[in-house]
Amino acid sequence: MQDTVLIVGAGPAGLSAASTVTASGYKAVVVEKEEILGGAPIISGYAKLVPSGEWAKDAIGRMVSRVEEDSGVTIHKGAKVESLDGEVGSFTAKLSNGETVTAGAIVLATGFTHFDSINKPEWGFGTFEDVLTTTQMEQMVSTGKIACPSDGRVPERVAILLCVGSRDRQIGREWCSKICCTVSANLAMEIKEISPETDVFIYYMDIRTFGLYEDKFYWKSQEEFKTKFVKARIAEVTASPDGRLLVKGEDTLVKRPIIIPFDIVVHAIGMDPNEDNPEIAKVFGIGLEKHGFIERAEHYTNTCGTTRRGIYSCGAAYGPETIDDSISQGAAAASRAVADLNALVQKAS
Amino acid sequence: MNSKDPKANNETQGVAGHGSFFQQTDLSREEAVKATDWVRKHVDRRTVDLGDRMDDVREHMYELEKDGEIIIHRITDEHEPQTVKTLFGWEKKIPTKQLWHHKSCGQCGNIPGYPTSLMWFMNEFGYVPGKDYLDETDQTSCTAWNYHGSGIGNVESLAAVFLRNFHQAYVSGKQHGHELGHFFPLVHCGTSFGNYKEIRKYLIESAELREKVKKILGKLGRLVDGKLVIPEEIVHYSEWVHVMRNRIASELQKIDVSNIRTTTHVACHYYKMVHEDAVYDPEVLGGNRTAIITSIAQALGAQTIDYSTWYDCCGFGFRHIISEREFTRSFTMDRKIRVAREEANADVMLANDTGCVTTMDKNQWIGRAHDQNFSIPIMADVQFAALACGADPFKIVQLQWHASPCEDLVEKMGISWSQAKKNFQEYLKEVENGNIEYLYNPELAYGGQA
Amino acid sequence: MATYAEMQQIYDDIRGDFRYDSELNGCLNCGICTATCPAAHFYDYSPREIVQLLWTENVEQIYDAMQEKIWACAQCMTCAARCPFKNSPGGLVAIMREVAIKHEMQSAKDVLRPFGRVMLKLITTGNQLSPDMIQPDHFPDWGPNIQKVEGDLSVLRKAIPVKTLQTVETAWEVSLKTSVEMYTIWEMTGVMKSLELMDENLFDVIEDFIDEKREEYEEWLEEQEDED
Repeated sequence: MQDTVLIVGAGPAGLSAASTVTASGYKAVVVEKEEILGGAPIISGYAKLVPSGEWAKDAIGRMVSRVEEDSGVTIHKGAKVESLDGEVGSFTAKLSNGETVTAGAIVLATGFTHFDSINKPEWGFGTFEDVLTTTQMEQMVSTGKIACPSDGRVPERVAILLCVGSRDRQIGREWCSKICCTVSANLAMEIKEISPETDVFIYYMDIRTFGLYEDKFYWKSQEEFKTKFVKARIAEVTASPDGRLLVKGEDTLVKRPIIIPFDIVVHAIGMDPNEDNPEIAKVFGIGLEKHGFIERAEHYTNTCGTTRRGIYSCGAAYGPETIDDSISQGAAAASRAVADLNALVQKAS
Repeated sequence: MNSKDPKANNETQGVAGHGSFFQQTDLSREEAVKATDWVRKHVDRRTVDLGDRMDDVREHMYELEKDGEIIIHRITDEHEPQTVKTLFGWEKKIPTKQLWHHKSCGQCGNIPGYPTSLMWFMNEFGYVPGKDYLDETDQTSCTAWNYHGSGIGNVESLAAVFLRNFHQAYVSGKQHGHELGHFFPLVHCGTSFGNYKEIRKYLIESAELREKVKKILGKLGRLVDGKLVIPEEIVHYSEWVHVMRNRIASELQKIDVSNIRTTTHVACHYYKMVHEDAVYDPEVLGGNRTAIITSIAQALGAQTIDYSTWYDCCGFGFRHIISEREFTRSFTMDRKIRVAREEANADVMLANDTGCVTTMDKNQWIGRAHDQNFSIPIMADVQFAALACGADPFKIVQLQWHASPCEDLVEKMGISWSQAKKNFQEYLKEVENGNIEYLYNPELAYGGQA
Repeated sequence: MATYAEMQQIYDDIRGDFRYDSELNGCLNCGICTATCPAAHFYDYSPREIVQLLWTENVEQIYDAMQEKIWACAQCMTCAARCPFKNSPGGLVAIMREVAIKHEMQSAKDVLRPFGRVMLKLITTGNQLSPDMIQPDHFPDWGPNIQKVEGDLSVLRKAIPVKTLQTVETAWEVSLKTSVEMYTIWEMTGVMKSLELMDENLFDVIEDFIDEKREEYEEWLEEQEDED
């Protein structure tokens, strides 16, 4: 059993971890609660990924097939870990499908849950047909046609509202979801490219297109695609009698409230802790940090650890994370798990 | 490996991946629907565990009670409470019986049809005055109108007024031959409701404030066993109407109102102050806006019409309605009356607070001076409900105090305004002769027994 | 014009209020408060500006804002319900108004003078508004048709089927004992003192009224004892 690592979750981080485990000569057992592998990018039908511009289906699809074709990986789909016994070096996990897995170490790549916009009802999602989330808008982009869901007209003006479900103490979500600024700038470019007559406005509190995303997304969306960035947090979204959406914001230049008409309003939804985290914490005996994400063992010397020895984590399970970094962290967590197991064996012999 | 070469894709698909070389994602319609299934799956505030991140002040209140610091005026089975859900899916108990009417100075002074319609409903349900409800003279207003308007007053004075009034509510039962806590306060005013909740929060959070006001309440003889009395819930009259709406419609409704187009204006101080305590119901407006007012209009079968300034304040402003009237009337005409009239083409605007009704009702006439020739009847949810249940437009609903064209609504509901007015003018002669009709025995108001 | 030290003192008093730290957590400068502010539609007033001035401790501009701007706020508290940082700009304005009164700022006196009638009613009766105040001569802009039935006010009030509401000078009948208890609250919480600072004449009128009511109450108590 000390040659096996149990990986929970088969999104970008988990898939990366599984491949790293087998590349190190160890065996991986992957437990995924959904019936398909790939995590949020596949299950939620993401379109083009940031920053590569590749289709999620292609990019994450490659990771899935790499794992599925790997003889060192055993995969349990549609299954959850229901209970866990033992300790580092000899864990025994009982799965919901009746199987038992023994493993020396565990990597939790359990990811996140998308924020559901109905928790911000004053922004009109669930009330007006033409209020969408970024993921729904990505789906529209992937059909190649930009149109208002209510009546199919081509929108003249689209507003993207940032920080929906992020940076908002009113609904107990104080964190920045990290990816939405870049994703939205990218989305604005995609919209403009398909529908040149559509103007896109992005309403923001701060723009966080960190690192190399600054010019590639933030600047480019302005320079080449004329995306308008407006510093204002929208108060409410309502509708006028002709069906157009009305967005209430502040014109920060003149310090005055203004009401602006739009045809489509897009919520740049953030990342919540996995809604199963309370259950995950209980089953695996690990701690959660104050926002509800998985707590890190120690920031500098055990950055892939959790509060329990032998259990590691990575990616969006720790907090909002990009796909690229999730993949790196999956590899890091797997390496650390394998290294610790190796040390355990050495010490015993 | 996937057969497509991603690099080639990038080069042929334009900078953002689309353009004239746009290539579909190859998802069939069914696949695309399935892929976005999660969007339609509600992960709502009623299921998301907010843990310690959202503070429910009531939990701290129970701790203070346990520590022997305060007495909580509890809602018991005798109050026949109904449980509703608030913004974050927390539960709130709304007592439906044994209620202490905590009146609103603006309503009583200006829109008396509010409290009379409410008490009329209680009588219609067979409530016994003095046992199932009490209206008495031992209460002051919350004084928050003045505080919000002028800045004269302070947290301490507001807290002392709050505790004095609610202590009286607590002991009133005993004075009328029942137990302590028999009558639970039902707050008529929206600003009182918001203010009391804010003050209760400060009282629970600050030991220093509790210490200060304890001295005052002690001097007034308004402590119980040396402790402050704080009610378990602050309950607004419109929440009572909300939980009684189906009984009102099924047991008492006499007039079909399906032809009536209603719009709602919910008071800011009802659902924006301490907003986690406002009532939401998945059955009403999808749970996306507070259920209050819309729920009773729906239950009665009236049409409920949305309008673009639904969230806007009425323009009351506390001081503004007295001494900045051009603001108040401009705002209410521009952002409320015009929109309800022109956009929603509504027959009536329903509200649940004092200042809102006053502001929207009284400021329509002056609009004509600015070519704003539109008007709309303004009244409270409970007044509209009383009309639908056959209450007299004058004697009970007291529409004679309204300036807006309420007669239009009354006529559309099939009630003869002129006949009702004639009857009322006859009644006024009776009143002059001392033949006054009461909803309850007047002696009760002065501590008399039922 | 106030000295810098005076302005600093005013700021310190605002900051010293026990609510201050929970009403001002920081500021993201997002403008949602101003977006949703009814007063910002009509006045040179922006709640975001107020918050920024306080947060950056700009004592001169704070003093300036207290001359006029803070009185524009309608206290609807929509800003507090919307702020992602959970600040309460409206709550901060309430603190600033209290401090303006404490410092006897002339602007506060000017602004509050027309509000005196309401304060007189409130402090003396515990009701803010009474039927005799809502008459056409007080509110000509409400039109000649404030009421739909002509008649003597006291008769019209008696036609309200609730005993406590058959009043003209108060919104409802408040028992004498209740009023006297309320006067004690005003005195013990410093409300009478603020009133004296703001409007000495009004204060004198109210003091006389209160003394009278107290005497009445004492007499009533004695009568009760005699009867027992």
